[in-house]
This record gives sequence, structure tokens and C-alpha cells, in this order.
Amino acid sequence: MAPQQEHADGDALAGLRAQTLRLAGDLPGALRRLSVRSGDAVIEVEWQESATGTPVLAPAVPVAVLAAEPVTEHDDESMVVRSPMVGTAYHAPSPGQPPFVKVGDMVEAGQTVLIVEAMKLFNPIVAEETGVVLELLVADGEPVEFEQPLLRLKTSADEAADVH
Amino acid sequence: MFTKVLIANRGEIALRVARTCRELGIATVGVYSTADRDPRVLRHFDEVVHIGPAQSKRSYQSTPAIIEAALQTGAQAIHPGYGFLSEDADFVEVCDEAGLVFIGPRPAQMSALGDKASARRIMSEAGLPLLPGSVEPSPDAAHALATAQRIGYPVIIKASAGGGGKGMAVVRGPEDLEKTFLQAKTVAASLFGDERVYLERYLERARHVEVQVLCDSHGNGVHLGTRDCSVQRRHQKLIEEGPAPALSPANAEDMATSAVLAALKVGYVGVCTFEFLLDERENHYFMEINTRIQVEHPVTEMITGVDLVREQILVAAGRKLAVSQEDIRLSGVAVECRVNGEDPDRDFVPTAGVLERFDPPGGPFTRVDTHAFTGYVLSPHYDSMVAKVIVWAPDRDQALNRMDRALAEFTVDGPGVKTTVPFLRRVLADREFRAAGHSTGLVDRVQAEGNRAERQAK
Repeated sequence: MAPQQEHADGDALAGLRAQTLRLAGDLPGALRRLSVRSGDAVIEVEWQESATGTPVLAPAVPVAVLAAEPVTEHDDESMVVRSPMVGTAYHAPSPGQPPFVKVGDMVEAGQTVLIVEAMKLFNPIVAEETGVVLELLVADGEPVEFEQPLLRLKTSADEAADVH
Repeated sequence: MFTKVLIANRGEIALRVARTCRELGIATVGVYSTADRDPRVLRHFDEVVHIGPAQSKRSYQSTPAIIEAALQTGAQAIHPGYGFLSEDADFVEVCDEAGLVFIGPRPAQMSALGDKASARRIMSEAGLPLLPGSVEPSPDAAHALATAQRIGYPVIIKASAGGGGKGMAVVRGPEDLEKTFLQAKTVAASLFGDERVYLERYLERARHVEVQVLCDSHGNGVHLGTRDCSVQRRHQKLIEEGPAPALSPANAEDMATSAVLAALKVGYVGVCTFEFLLDERENHYFMEINTRIQVEHPVTEMITGVDLVREQILVAAGRKLAVSQEDIRLSGVAVECRVNGEDPDRDFVPTAGVLERFDPPGGPFTRVDTHAFTGYVLSPHYDSMVAKVIVWAPDRDQALNRMDRALAEFTVDGPGVKTTVPFLRRVLADREFRAAGHSTGLVDRVQAEGNRAERQAK
């Protein structure tokens, strides 16, 4: 599910959440990615690897426009590092080498966390903020699209907030 | 034959290509930018890939993004549509290296015919008349001034790598030449990454007539008749019709035959269009060649019954043309109107926004090519075309009446959204246009008359 914040129009969001959960329950197979937007009312669903091993976006299901407020990327739990391009994501600089990061690692802002290969060019993906790796959202060698979430970080700002 | 094709474009042409692929049993991969992620458009493709942000340089015009999307999805071929990467020879070479078939000409032929200066040289050698001007690009302002002096004013400065009506400027006297020449070079460099420009005599009252050509990789080529695209605003076509009216059959045959011969001479494969200007005495002059499917291709489809995108795909897959010139029969008259989200009363400024109502026309022999629908957001990031309306009828009068009826049915409405529909209907009603006596100056005149009428009403 996309990260969400408390909104003044919580009813609309609750409706969206309920619809999404119902939709997720109705879909066959295990979900790999579910992205929900309320602005233009988009729900995109991605299942586990398809038979051909290529990413398949299922026909997205239009839903009634619920709320005008955008769902923000950066909520008070974590931040998501997204792919800046279409390509193939790799966890390590080259096969057999240790990964750039593992779940639980502390990363500094500007540190490389993954690489995305596009047309034989290796593009380092850096963490924009300092934090702890909560989750790697793509498998090593997996094709990724523009803006696809790659990794989730618990940011240091949030940690500081937790102390107080 | 291909089993999967990636369509490297957006809007109506992406859907147009996807539909023919489906009819051929070919799976399609659609690509979309962040601004275009509407599922109601994306449902037309079997798979879709998010390739980049709204800015087209980083999405639809990004070679790495398109190639990666094709490789990831296992597409064997790429259809570029029109605009974006459709006339980019470098992109075709990258496709080759990646083992992907580009549905269009080979890079050498694309460069030879797509570059205006080079096309002029080839056509001049083939014996086709050119407008007086410089066959080669003008290196500097002094050369341009001398050329203009030789051919006489007015002259038009054109970008060698230009297209789609962009990168052109008319100069009416020597006092404006140097400044306009230097501006044109700067514009050409920024639009096309190529600052070369050349000069031609500018015809004030010209007709724009073009020939649709189709060639395979076995040395066969045919033409599919003429189209008249004289109804233009700032070199952008608004109304296209086929066959070109008020054109002698001998002249049409002459243009069409030389076009096919020239295409075969350079070994062209795919569809292309040869553009000519005709003066008031019906002398024709070769202008340029478009090495892609064009916006107005449905006009030819309606009068020939040939699906041009299907033929493009088949010849790209190495098939021989199934038709010879004798098989191609032109029937009736077809007209296309481009409905743009623009305000004709405010000098055609684009009006982006939500289309709260979108009711396209229907009826006999009426085709609407569009990606829009009620609720669609007309994006400020891309061109303003909302739909193309194409009609067919046995003769020109009936076709124009049918088009007016279709446009009268067309409702597009939303906050701040205007369309060119009322303006197109004014052109359709124009006496000179009805009599097929119009030239490329028609739109300016109709616009000026409209402004005058408005002032008088006040």
C-alpha cells in the first residue's frame, strides 16, 4: 500500500483504503506491487513474476475519484528511494560481490544503495537522506520502471523524533 | 512476423498503431510518462512500461528509456509513430545494435531523404523541379543575402533538419535578412540539434500537395495518390484532403511517379511522403520528404482501403508488397480535420485542462482517431491535438458537408478548454475553399475576416 498520512478528509482516504483492501483480496496470486493514487484515481497492480519473467502491469482498475489531496511519498515512518529510469536494478557492484546495503544497515545521505543499469550504463542510486534500510523492494537483477520504489529507509530525522 | 511490438509514442497515434497490431495478432507494449499514466488510455496495450517523467526528452524522446523498455518486455520491433524518435537516424542505429527492428526506413535512407538539403540534391539530380534557392545550406549571412538577391524576395529560411512546420521564417526584404537568418540558425540548433539552414523562394499563393509512397525491401514501390494540405496555420496543417482537388491528372501522375522512382533509387523501405508546392499556374516544385507515418495518413487509408500502419509493419518484417500500382484504386474523397485544444480567438493559444465533456461524432463514413474521453486531462506537456476527424464521401461536396455535420456533433468542453472546431467550420464554409481555389494563405485570411466581423459586431 502506498504510504499515507492523516488527512483532514480522512473519510475519503478510509474509503480508498477499504476499496484497495477489497481489491487486493479479490485479485488472484500474490501481489508484488500495489500503487494507489487518489488525484487521478489510479490503482496499479503488479503480480509476482509473470511466466515470461517480464514485469506485467495488469490493466489498472479505475475507481471513482475520492480525494483531491495527494498521497505523499515521505510520511513520518519512512522514505522511499525510487528508480530515476527504466532499467535493471542490481544489489551489488558486480556478480559475487557483497551488496551495497542490507536490511538493517545504516546509510548516509549520498551513499550508493543500488545500481540501475540502462543500456549498459550503470547508474548509482543514492540515498537522499540518512537512515536505516527497512526494506529492499526489488530483487537483484529485476527490471524496474521509472519511479518504481526500490528501497525503503527509516530516516534519521524520524529516529530523532522517536527519542523525544 | 513479429509477435510483440513496442510503440514508442503517445496519444492518438499510439492507439492507432496498437489497434492495427491487435488486428495482426501482435502483442503490444505501450510506454507512458508520469503525465500520461491514465489507465483508460493504457488499457489499449497488452503491457505498459513507465519510462520517465512528463518532459518528453526524458521519456518519449529518451533512447535509453525506450530501448530498455523494449528489451525488458521482449519486444522484437519498435514502432515510433510520428514526432519524437520517428526521424532520428541515431535511434535506428541503437535499435540495430540492440537487435530490435525499427519499423521505418534504414538510417542511411532516413538521413538521405529526411535531411531537407540532401533530399533537395537527390530530387534535383532526379530531374524534379525545385523552387529557386540554395540546394546546399547557407554557411553565413553574406551567402544567404547573396542567394536572396539572386532568387528575389520574399524568401523562406528553412532548417535542413526541420519538420512539422517548425524552424521556418519568411523574409520579405534585405533589411530583415541577416537578423532572421541568424535567428533561424539558433532556432534550428535548439529544436533539431543542427544549425544548418537554407533559403528558398517563398510562394505567397501556393498549394501544398503531397504524395504518399510505400516501398518494400525487395525493390517494389507504389504511390497511394495525392493529398492537399494547403489549409495551414504557421506551416501546421489543419485540414487535409485526398485526392488533391483541382489538380490535373497528368500533373498528379507526374509528381507521384517521380516520387516512387526517387524512393526506389535510394532503396527506401516503408512509408514516406513527398511534399510539393504548386504555384497559381500549377507548376509543381519539390519541397521535402517525410520519412514516417504522418498525422494525415487516414485520408489515404479512406480513399485506398489500405491500412498504412499494417503495410509499414509487414514491410519492416521483410514481406513483399501485396499490391502493385495497378491494384491501387482511388475511390471518392476523404477529408481530415485536426481538432486541437487551442483557442482560435486568442491566436490559437493551447488550452490545457480537464475535458469534462468529450462527445465525438459518429455516423456514416466518419472516423475519429483520438485518445481522449470524458474526464481526460489535456496535458500542457505535449501537443494540443485532441482528435482527428476523418470522413469519406463519393465526391468533395458531400465530403465537406459530411465533415461539417461531424464537427457540429463534436462537443469538447471543460474549464478553460477551447477547441479549433468553430474555426474549422468557418474554413469549411469559406467560398474559396469550397471551390478548391484556396492557397496556403487561406487560414490567415479567414482569421482576419473573423476578427474584422467581431470588431464590427462591437
